[in-house]
Amino acid sequence: MANEQQKGPGPSVPLRERYLVYPGAPLPDFSTPTAQAFVAEDRRDAKRQYFALVARPGFPTRINCMRFLKGVECPGLMTMAEWGVMDWPPANRKVMVVVYEKPLGGRVMASMTSDFRRVEEVDMVRKVIAPMTEALKKLRALGITHRNIRPTNMFWATPERDRIVLGDCAISPPAFDQPAIVEPLDSGQCVPAGRGNGAYTDDSYAFGASMVMLLQGRNLVAKQEDAAVIRNKMVNGSYSALVGENRMPVQMIEVLRGLLCDDAAQRWHVEALELWLAGRRLSPLISKNEKRAARGFNFGGKDYVTARELSAAFSRNFEAAAQVVLDGRLELWLRRSLDQQDKATAVSDAMHAAVAVATEKKPAFDYMVSKVCMILDTTAPIRFKGLNFLPDGLGNLLAVTVVEGGDVKLIAEAILRSVTKAWVETRESYNPDNSIMENAFNSQKIFLERTTIGNGVERLLYEMNDSMPCLSPHVVDECVMDIRDLLPALNNAARKNEGKGWPVERHIAAFIAARSNFDVDRAIYELSDGNPARSVLAMLNILAILQWRLGQGGMTSLAGWVAGLTGPAINSYNNRETRKQLEKEIPRIAKDGNLVEMARVLDNPEARSLDQQGFDQAKDDWARMQREIKNIEAGQIGTDDEGVKTAQQIASLISVTIAFITTTLLLISRFFNG
Amino acid sequence: MAKPAKGKGKGDAKGKKPKGSNRLLILVTAMALVPFSLPTLIVLFCAMLPTLGAALAERSGSRYAWVCVGGMNFSGLAPWLFDLWFGHHTIDYAIHQLTGVSMLLISYGAAGVGWLIYLGVPPVVATFTTMTSQRRSVVLIADQKKLVDIWGDGVTKGGGGGGAVDPADLL
Repeated sequence: MANEQQKGPGPSVPLRERYLVYPGAPLPDFSTPTAQAFVAEDRRDAKRQYFALVARPGFPTRINCMRFLKGVECPGLMTMAEWGVMDWPPANRKVMVVVYEKPLGGRVMASMTSDFRRVEEVDMVRKVIAPMTEALKKLRALGITHRNIRPTNMFWATPERDRIVLGDCAISPPAFDQPAIVEPLDSGQCVPAGRGNGAYTDDSYAFGASMVMLLQGRNLVAKQEDAAVIRNKMVNGSYSALVGENRMPVQMIEVLRGLLCDDAAQRWHVEALELWLAGRRLSPLISKNEKRAARGFNFGGKDYVTARELSAAFSRNFEAAAQVVLDGRLELWLRRSLDQQDKATAVSDAMHAAVAVATEKKPAFDYMVSKVCMILDTTAPIRFKGLNFLPDGLGNLLAVTVVEGGDVKLIAEAILRSVTKAWVETRESYNPDNSIMENAFNSQKIFLERTTIGNGVERLLYEMNDSMPCLSPHVVDECVMDIRDLLPALNNAARKNEGKGWPVERHIAAFIAARSNFDVDRAIYELSDGNPARSVLAMLNILAILQWRLGQGGMTSLAGWVAGLTGPAINSYNNRETRKQLEKEIPRIAKDGNLVEMARVLDNPEARSLDQQGFDQAKDDWARMQREIKNIEAGQIGTDDEGVKTAQQIASLISVTIAFITTTLLLISRFFNG
Repeated sequence: MAKPAKGKGKGDAKGKKPKGSNRLLILVTAMALVPFSLPTLIVLFCAMLPTLGAALAERSGSRYAWVCVGGMNFSGLAPWLFDLWFGHHTIDYAIHQLTGVSMLLISYGAAGVGWLIYLGVPPVVATFTTMTSQRRSVVLIADQKKLVDIWGDGVTKGGGGGGAVDPADLL
């Protein structure tokens, strides 16, 4: 009955014909910063309580996580019952929805600044660490990271509040909703969209930071700005920055220091947690402080004694940073005050490379400063003209920027300048994953350099984000994530829009190019052809290939839309009879919704070859006739050499004939006269 | 007309030798016949002088004048030639015929008619051709219009199709 009361007014919307979501019954207590929660119900089991998280329209989600987590039951995770795209009447469009089994004990922490009842240290293992370890273990087994671990995304699983479960991690980009204080130093310095999927150790860190708050019943650094917390982490280490002067239970110090270790290589992972839970005690990790310079480096009126802090300062003022790198002061400081010869040499190399560029000094200097920032702090994210991001977060950053209508120029410039390459070059140790990532970025750079339809930023958007719905104005309301949903969505668009514009515009072309596992490259390339007939045929061929490959017939409205655009292709036939036949045939095919047949009829190489041969013959015939007419008009027929010769032949024939007749007659008379 | 040209071009070196040997064969045969047909040769030579003159005088490449004149010339000479062959095939009779005015007058007159035919037929043929070519022109223009109706204005140009595109690009 309780569930019945929560449903509220209004009808429900079905998801995959099993779950019902009630748009009139919001659940603010289960909402996230980027997704609203609503009451949901299982048609097969009305007694269990569910809620649905509705993604922000157009926002990228983590479909990969959804695929893996659906139906997974784990003591530390909310159970994801279902996910998918569904109609959403309040927005009058389709949206991505994830349905979870409802935790019955409520949210652990209402907001990052609110107080809550602390978890006693005696309960910590049973209520928090054990279920969280299970959750992290399960996530690792599934090969995914959570990237959304914080007290405000933790729930008490039962009304008795005896176990904590992690909230959603799939409805928004990874770590997008995370406050900087629960993120490791590198990720914390990034813009929220640019943090990327990260590593398992990032989840360990977020869990450690959450544990500090759970033990204290509040966020100890709630009153501090994110920048201040990050700086404190840089200078004093994460443990000191988050715990400060506060007392932590002695038995928890070891696990907290392990989880909050700033060196990701040494940070505790799930196996270490399991060992700790099993009773094995290790000596607490002591964070290594950054090497301090004998003499501070003055930049922007402030002295910096560590390279890490200076790197962060440089990222905030690229132009001034370029000057201090170019005048050699930085190199000198690294050699003399910080005694880091390797870094000094690397900075010198970057400077000389920038100076050697003959043209466009400014972009070269920007790249140089970006690289110097990475050299100074090898644990920092990519810093490019005020934009901080991790390489695997670049796709999400681009997606969020596009969806929010932001300027993608800076992101595009970062890719074109190959700052990711600089990031790979400045790593302290070799990681094969980095090489794979660099190759991927090189391919994406090529897509970006091509500005033709099917390439550019749009192509990059879909290549770098598997979960990105197609943003074409034709289908944006249909939330097309899968290429199989594209033709039906376009068919609906054709019905609604009555076929305005081209069905295969920049976003559609890029989406198809990125998502299809069959060859459409040639057709995509020809879309930008200056020849209207060729580009129309390319558009038709792309849609026909999709229809054929995916076996989706009956696209009547879409075929009608396309048929209305085939004029240039029909007119490319020379024979007017053929054109008339096609003009009659194409609407007939469109009524059947058969794009494959339409493409076959319009782009038939044999018919085109015959048409061309006939046309060439007709041209020759016309030219021959024209010559003859001109000769007649010039009065040359009969008086020209040919005519005279013919006449002379006739005269000779007459003469010889007379001679023959005369001779014959004389001979006959001779015979008869004896 | 193309065939002789082809044959001529195909083997000048090969062709000259047989032609020369044919002429030699004809000359030798004619020389062999001289003792037996001398009266005929005397009559032919004297009566067919206009044909010889036409053959030598003609400058045009077609060389139909001597055929035309020769045909008529022979027609005029034929009665006397048959008299010679079927009557008295002797040198005396041949000279008798030559000295009579009528044979030469008629054969030379016939040659003159041959010339008239040669000179008169071409203008007549030209006039006739002009008359028929007007009608031909109308037919050609109609055929051209049909081509344009079927294939578009593109057929009237050096290149390009009936539409705005080059159909060859689509192949």
